[in-house]
Amino acid sequence: MIWWPTRGLKRSLTEKTFQPSKEKVRTMKIFKRSMHICTIDVGNSNLLNFEIKALQSAQYNTHRFGIYFSDSPRHADLLIVLGTPTEKMITPLMNTIAQMPEPFGILIVEEDDEMDLDLPNVVGRLKNPEPSDILSTLLKIMERN
Amino acid sequence: MKILLGTFHKDVDYYIVQEDGVISIEIDPENVYTPNYAFVKSRDLIIGSDDPVRTGEGVFDFRYGPVTSGVGEAGIYHLYTYGERILSVDVDLSYKHRNISKRIIGLDFKSALKMVEKVCGNFTFSHSLAFTRAVESANGINVDSKSEKLRTTALELERIYNHLYVIYQLAQAAAQKVLTSHMSYLFEESLRMNKNFSGSRYLKGFNDIGGIKNFDERRFENLKSDLQRITSEFGELYKGVLESGNFLDRLYSTAVLNSSEAINIGITGPTLRATGIKEDLRLNDPKYKNLKIPTKNEGDSLARMEVRAEEIFESQRVILDQIESSDENNETGYEKGFGYCESPSGTVAYRVDVKDSKISDIYIVTPSFFAFKGIANALRGNIFTDFQFAVESFGMNFADGAL
Repeated sequence: MIWWPTRGLKRSLTEKTFQPSKEKVRTMKIFKRSMHICTIDVGNSNLLNFEIKALQSAQYNTHRFGIYFSDSPRHADLLIVLGTPTEKMITPLMNTIAQMPEPFGILIVEEDDEMDLDLPNVVGRLKNPEPSDILSTLLKIMERN
Repeated sequence: MKILLGTFHKDVDYYIVQEDGVISIEIDPENVYTPNYAFVKSRDLIIGSDDPVRTGEGVFDFRYGPVTSGVGEAGIYHLYTYGERILSVDVDLSYKHRNISKRIIGLDFKSALKMVEKVCGNFTFSHSLAFTRAVESANGINVDSKSEKLRTTALELERIYNHLYVIYQLAQAAAQKVLTSHMSYLFEESLRMNKNFSGSRYLKGFNDIGGIKNFDERRFENLKSDLQRITSEFGELYKGVLESGNFLDRLYSTAVLNSSEAINIGITGPTLRATGIKEDLRLNDPKYKNLKIPTKNEGDSLARMEVRAEEIFESQRVILDQIESSDENNETGYEKGFGYCESPSGTVAYRVDVKDSKISDIYIVTPSFFAFKGIANALRGNIFTDFQFAVESFGMNFADGAL
């Protein structure tokens, strides 16, 4: 049995190559070196939550680009809204947006249903993305590719 | 032991009951299954623990959710705490309620199947399999043996990635950084394996009513090598897990649920098997040969994790078995309009009424609904820092419970 800490040094799991994004987004150059992200689930089928969890896996290694996941909207630069809001989640979503510090952006990630809600500062929209799509879109928002 | 999973009214009251790996619909005039009858009947979206303590001097309602990283999904845990100790729990599922069982009525089979896949993203295949079985038995459609083989394989693939996810979350909750990174790597790899096999990372759109068509046999070869790589890497990690004292200490004797309590609630799946009861829908399925069902007796978070970890190896063996086995016709009879399967967290069952090739009525049994009651009961007496281990080890989610 190998001692736990040395396991991590044995091999590199990070993937170096990825496709640049083709999505139309509004770029925010101010976050080029570092962007903190807060996610909010407003009623998706848990599939998008799993994709966000997969994005935090070792293959993508988002920390090398300065992308961090924050627990609170008050510490975040970008809010990722996952899914189409259920009736009861509209108020918590609006309250969360009100807590975001200026300047901020909102990235809408949805499944098959379209969101018909007017949100401020929307920088992009993704439909059924894979983690690599989300990562390349985030990098495009940061103007890193 | 009979486990009551659901009840619906059609002229008389019908009861959906699981016993020794078989689910049946029974008519019971004497209401023998009373322990969880009121809970199953009402299907209330706010689930509380038994004998709740909500008020009193020094009792504080700690509202956890719906916007927090600790819960992740849109739902609320009301933890009534006295100091660090949790006295009782109320779980509020209503924030995630999408009214799916009402929206499905009146749809044709294809769009209904799409809606069913949207119930819960990580149990997509279990739901679609149970639903297609129900529709097939209602219409008298027979499925060819090759499709049955593919369905069994896909169901086990879903079990593998969900179990990997649960252990990944438990490692993250215990701040085991090295284990977390390696488990996250395996989790993502298992999703990519799903994509290579079925075309979707979550096995979405793979299943169809009447069987799976247009499947390329060569995909089995890739699946075999991917699967062996992932499970052997996980096997090595798991050996390390069982030697890591400060990880196991966090799980040991956390959120204990004993067997009689679990049966009275209606819990199925790995949670029930971790209390020492050998209950699995795959036991009576002829497609599974020599299936070993891992059980543990403790009923705590550690037992639930061990059962899940051993099921990963068993699922790998089943899939390799399916790849090698020749096609043979094994008839499994389902009652008319009724279908079920063993999802990663327990029993999923569908009962449908069909009229003019449209769904006219539907009743859905999901495992998470019962798991929330289990959490609410098991958390009593634990301290607040055990919350994450208790919640993650049950492997439930709000989307599945709230519908």
